[in-house]
Amino acid sequence: MAIAIDIQSVTRAYGPIKALDGIDLAIKAGEFFTLLGSSGCGKSTLLKLIGGFDRPTKGRILFEGRDVIDVPANKRPVNTVFQNLALFPHMTVAENIGYGLKLRGLSGAALKAKVEDALDLVELPGFGPRGIAMMSGGQRQRVALARALVMEPGILLLDEPLTGLDERLRQQMRDEFGRLHRRTGATFILVTHNQDEALSLSDRMAIMHQGRIEQLDVPAQFFARPANSFVAGFVGIDTLLKPERIEQHSDGLRAVIGGQSLRLRSPMGSLGDDSLVAIRPDRLRISESLDGADLVLTVVGTTFRGLQTDVHLAFADGQSLVAVVSSDSPSATLAHGARVPLSLLPDAAMLLSGLGMPPAA
Amino acid sequence: MTVHEGFGNRALLWIIAILGLLVIYAPPLYLLAISFNPALQPSLPSLSALSLDWYMALPREKALIGALQQSLLIAFATAVFATALSLLAALAYVELRFGRTSWFLLVLLPMFVPGVVQGLALSAVFSRLGVKASMITLISGHLLWAMPFAFIVILTSFAAVRQNFLLAAADLGANRWRQFVDVTLPLIRPGLVSAFIFSFLLSLNEFTRAFYLSGRQNTLPVVLFSKMNSGASPVIYAMSGAIFIASVLMVAALALYNLLGRRAPVLEAQ
Repeated sequence: MAIAIDIQSVTRAYGPIKALDGIDLAIKAGEFFTLLGSSGCGKSTLLKLIGGFDRPTKGRILFEGRDVIDVPANKRPVNTVFQNLALFPHMTVAENIGYGLKLRGLSGAALKAKVEDALDLVELPGFGPRGIAMMSGGQRQRVALARALVMEPGILLLDEPLTGLDERLRQQMRDEFGRLHRRTGATFILVTHNQDEALSLSDRMAIMHQGRIEQLDVPAQFFARPANSFVAGFVGIDTLLKPERIEQHSDGLRAVIGGQSLRLRSPMGSLGDDSLVAIRPDRLRISESLDGADLVLTVVGTTFRGLQTDVHLAFADGQSLVAVVSSDSPSATLAHGARVPLSLLPDAAMLLSGLGMPPAA
Repeated sequence: MTVHEGFGNRALLWIIAILGLLVIYAPPLYLLAISFNPALQPSLPSLSALSLDWYMALPREKALIGALQQSLLIAFATAVFATALSLLAALAYVELRFGRTSWFLLVLLPMFVPGVVQGLALSAVFSRLGVKASMITLISGHLLWAMPFAFIVILTSFAAVRQNFLLAAADLGANRWRQFVDVTLPLIRPGLVSAFIFSFLLSLNEFTRAFYLSGRQNTLPVVLFSKMNSGASPVIYAMSGAIFIASVLMVAALALYNLLGRRAPVLEAQ
């Protein structure tokens, strides 16, 4: 049975440092929910609180409306795939997977059947008698998943489970998580610093920063309506420009940058003096002629990225943005110093409250 | 492959190593050789004259056999208690956050108290309390001697018990006791076995504390010492040789156990 989680003004302080600062979060039963953020943002602390490995300093955590603060980890309907997997080195694959069931009192044929089902589920049939040391990185990942899922948890916690795998395996395991989520119907909570993982898997996700949730939404909204410059930077909208001033025109707001004026999508919420203009690289087009161009910028470099090429373009004041073009288009070979006309699709530029940039990944 | 140093350097290292081993092992091996000499005067036997005469005579030496029994009994009791108490001390160390270093030094300190001082101090305290010297007093003395070693050995084995293993066990429904039995204990088993054997040997061969603390029945080292001073028969060489061989066999068994018991590189990539 999938379980809904209600986190109510939860704070976890270590001395004067607040790892979590008044978190309110409702996770629906059966949802694939992701906590996204860089290291130290509090996402792992929140996971620990849900798993029962730690207690909040303040606040309540409810499972299906029942307060579980005083329920220890071994009595919660939660299972975890740990960051470094934590497979028991002195047990075989089958013993690892069967350990929790054994504690529940299962034995003999019933235990064996369940373990074998779990091995089938993660596509490792026949691997039961092997030692953990004989399994590859990807196989260990599957064993850890099977060990948690065999318990039929209402909530499955995934703590940076793909760290340390190579890109191909990450891709493969990511698909596996999606498949297992549909298959088991449990509430999945993933903690990660990798936005690709978060975006491709989550029903909803929260971006965390310094113990707070910066934005909580469905993945697409993080691009359409990032809450602030931090969120925009985190999901890959890395062009954030400081405007000289903001002007109110009859057709809406316009920002003046390097002497040129560009149309802005109406902002969310209130904005201070530290507002930044975020520009989505996928909404820029390099045009043929200077007529009707929204901006005219100077090429300061190109970066070849395989199928696509980043063209770096600078304003008169030195601030720059990136336009992504197909590598076989003529724009990909623009010379340094060339003047280039740009047209902006609607919603290309938005005004965001400044919260700084996330640290480079 | 690293580039090797010159032949001269390597030869020098070998010579130093062999000399060192010679200094360590020559005396007990000399003693062992003497024990196979049927002559009354202690000297190296000629190869043609090797004999087990003195070993055959051993069972008739009531005093030595009694001392050996006493020593084995005390060594066994010491090993059991030292291992159990050191396990508890190591668990405490693992649980402690602050004061870890103090606890570590506190448990270790008896190792640095000279045997003469410790034996004298204990016997003074026991007589003050009106406790007669007996097997119990000697075991308590040996416990002080063996425990620091057992503690270090067990503590070292705790490196295999990652905090995450215990969290994972809790996650799967294990309470503290089951975490200990199912995860901690199997992972530190090699340490427990080593600690037991070390404590056993340390107690078996200990002289100074036994000299002060044993009751009516002296332990083997004490009896051997007194017999040596009273110019006894070469049977004592046979007894020494037997003890030496037994000790070597036990250490060899331990090494073999650790070699075979180790399952592939389990900790790799964890």
